[in-house]
Amino acid sequence: MQATRTRTDSRVTNYWREEFALAAVLLVLFGAIVAFGIGLPFDARLFPLIIGAAGIALCMLIGWEELRRRGATAPSDVVAEDDPAANATWPRFVTALLSAPVFGLVFWLFGFFVASLAAMFVMPPLMGYTNRRMMVVVGLATVAVLAAFFPYLVGVDLPHGVVVDWLIDQLKSH
Amino acid sequence: MFDNLLLGLMAALQWKQFLFMILGTVIGLWVGVLPGIGGPVTMAIMIPFTFAMDPLSALLMLASVSVGAAFGGSVTSILLNIPGEASSAATAYDGYPMAQQGKARVAMGLSAGASMVAGLVGVLILMFVSGPVAKVALAFSPAEYFALAILGLTVVSVAAIGSTLKGLAMGALGIAISLIGVDSILGVERYTFNSVYLLDGISFVPVMVGLFAITELTSMIIEGGTVAKSGKLEGSLWDGFWDTFRYPFALTQSTLLGAFIGVIPGLGATAANFLAYGVAMRTSKHPERFGKGAPEGVIAPEASNNSCIPTGLIPALTLGIPGGATAAILLVAVTVQGLRPGPMLFTSNPQLIWGFYMGLFVGCIMATILYLIMIPWFAMITLVRIELMAPMLLIITLFGAYASDRNVMDVFVAIGFGLFGYFARRHGYPLISLVIGLILGKLAEGSFHQALQISDHDYSVFVLRPLSATIFAVCLILILWPGVKRRLGKGGAEST
Repeated sequence: MQATRTRTDSRVTNYWREEFALAAVLLVLFGAIVAFGIGLPFDARLFPLIIGAAGIALCMLIGWEELRRRGATAPSDVVAEDDPAANATWPRFVTALLSAPVFGLVFWLFGFFVASLAAMFVMPPLMGYTNRRMMVVVGLATVAVLAAFFPYLVGVDLPHGVVVDWLIDQLKSH
Repeated sequence: MFDNLLLGLMAALQWKQFLFMILGTVIGLWVGVLPGIGGPVTMAIMIPFTFAMDPLSALLMLASVSVGAAFGGSVTSILLNIPGEASSAATAYDGYPMAQQGKARVAMGLSAGASMVAGLVGVLILMFVSGPVAKVALAFSPAEYFALAILGLTVVSVAAIGSTLKGLAMGALGIAISLIGVDSILGVERYTFNSVYLLDGISFVPVMVGLFAITELTSMIIEGGTVAKSGKLEGSLWDGFWDTFRYPFALTQSTLLGAFIGVIPGLGATAANFLAYGVAMRTSKHPERFGKGAPEGVIAPEASNNSCIPTGLIPALTLGIPGGATAAILLVAVTVQGLRPGPMLFTSNPQLIWGFYMGLFVGCIMATILYLIMIPWFAMITLVRIELMAPMLLIITLFGAYASDRNVMDVFVAIGFGLFGYFARRHGYPLISLVIGLILGKLAEGSFHQALQISDHDYSVFVLRPLSATIFAVCLILILWPGVKRRLGKGGAEST
C-alpha cells in the first residue's frame, strides 16, 4: 500500500514538474520573441511584439490555472493508473526519446545506410524484441528496398554523411 | 453548357488521357502515403515529363497526382497517426482512435466515401460557379484576409481538445515561428541570428513531420504492442463507405466549407482540414465523442480537403491567380504548353477546359476505386509489431524531412519539434493550433500591414469594413460563447 502510494506520488510530482517546465519553456520563447524584436524597425517589430506579449500573458494565465488545478485535482485524475508513459521501463522510455536524435546525428555523420541499419538492428532489441532472425531479415529488406526506391521516387540522392564525404575527399586528393 | 460537358467528357475519356489519369492517381496515392513528400512536390518533379505531352494529358496527369495524394494522405493519418499530407493531419484525430479500436477499414471507408462525394461536389462547383465565386474572392481586401486568419486560429483554438488557453498559446507560438526569416514588408531579417538556414524561415514540412510523425513514433515506442490493440481488424470497408451517408449534415457542411476555403487564395486544404474538424465538433450533438473515434471526425476533415482542391483552381483558371501550390504548379504546366492562363482560355480552348473539368470528375471516381482496392492491404499494417515498424517509420519520416529541401538541418528541426510535440501533447497542448498558427501567420501579418498601408495607418479599417467587422464579431462570439453558455446553464440550474 505504502509502495503504491509512493509510486503514484512520484508520478504525479513528475507530471507537475513537466507541466510547469513546459509553461516556463513557452514563457522563455515568447520573452525571447519580445526581447529580440525590440531592436527591429517599427513595422517589422509590431506583429512580433503583439504576438510575444499575448504569448507571455497566455503562459502566465496557464501557469495560474495549473496552480489552481494542482490544489483541486485528485492524483488519480492527473496521471491515470494505466498511463503508458508513467509505466514504461527506462530502456523503452530512453529508446523512445533518444532514437530520433541519435538517428539524426548518425544520418548527418555517416549517411543513410549506416543510420538506417543502426535503427533497424539496435532499436528493436532495446524495446524488448527477441526474434533476431525476423529482425535481421526485415532490417536488411527494408534498407535495401528504401535505398533502391527513394532516389527514384523522391528524386534525391541518398546522403553519405559528412564523415564519409570527408573520407572520399581525402582519398580523391591522394 | 450541355455541349461543353459532352465535349469535355469525350476529350477526357480517350484511352490516352485515361491512362495518364491512372498513372497520376497511383503515383499520388503512393506519395500521399509517404510523410513529408506531398502532392505539390511530386507535381513539381513531374513537370519535365509533361513537356512532350499534349496540354490535356499533362494537366490531367498533374491534377490526378494532387487528387490521389489527397486520398492517400489519409491512409497513414488513420493507420499510424502520421499524416502523409499536411492536409490530412486533422483526419488522424478520430481516424487513429478508430484504428486503435480495430476499425481501420471502417475509418478508411468513411474517408473514401467523404473524399469521393466532396471531390465530385468540388468539381461541380468548379464547373458551374467558378466565375461568380472568383469575383466574391476578389472582393476580399487585406482587412478581410487578416480577419479570416484570426478566425481560423480562433476556431481551432476554441474547438481544440483540452484547454482553450493552451490552444491559443500554441497558436501564438505557431505565428511566432512563422515570423522567423526575412520580413515580407521591409525585408528586415528577424530572429535569424546570422543563420543562412533561417533566412527563408522554418520550412513547413519538417515541422509537420516532427509534430505529427516523430511525436506519434515516440508515443508508439513507449506503448509497444500493435496499433490495433485487440490484435485483429473489425468491421468492413463497405460499412464505413456507406456510413458516410448516415451523417449528411457533417458531410454537406464540411464539403461546402472546404469548397469556400479553396476559393480564397492562401488558405488551402490544410487550413480547410483543421477548420472543418473544429466546426464539425462545435456543431455536433455529441462533441464529447470527438477525439475518441467519432465518424464525423473522419468525414469532416476528409470532405473539406477534397472539396478544397478543385475549387482552389477557380482563381487560377479564371483569373490566372494561383490560390496555392497545386494551382501554381498547374499554371506553370499550362504556360509550359504555350497557353495563357486566364479568362481567354475559356473561349480559345473550351475543349481543354471542359476536358480538364470532366477529367477531374472522372478522376475522383477513379481515385476512390483505386483507394478501395488498395485499402485492405494498407490496413494490415495495424497488426504489425511496433518494435519492427517504429524503426522503419523513423527512417521514412526523417528521410522525408530531409528530401523536401535536401537539407540535414530539416532533420534536426523535425526531431526538435517531435520531442517538443510529445511533451506538449501529453500535457494537453493542442498541436493543431501550432500548425494553424504557422500556416496563417504570414498571411495574417502580410494582410495586417497591407490593410494599414491602404488605410494610411488607420487601425479602424479592421472594424469599419462590414465584412471584416462581421468576421471579428464571429471570433469574439466563439471565444466568449463557452463562458456565456456556462453562466446561462448555471442561471438556469439556479432558477429551477
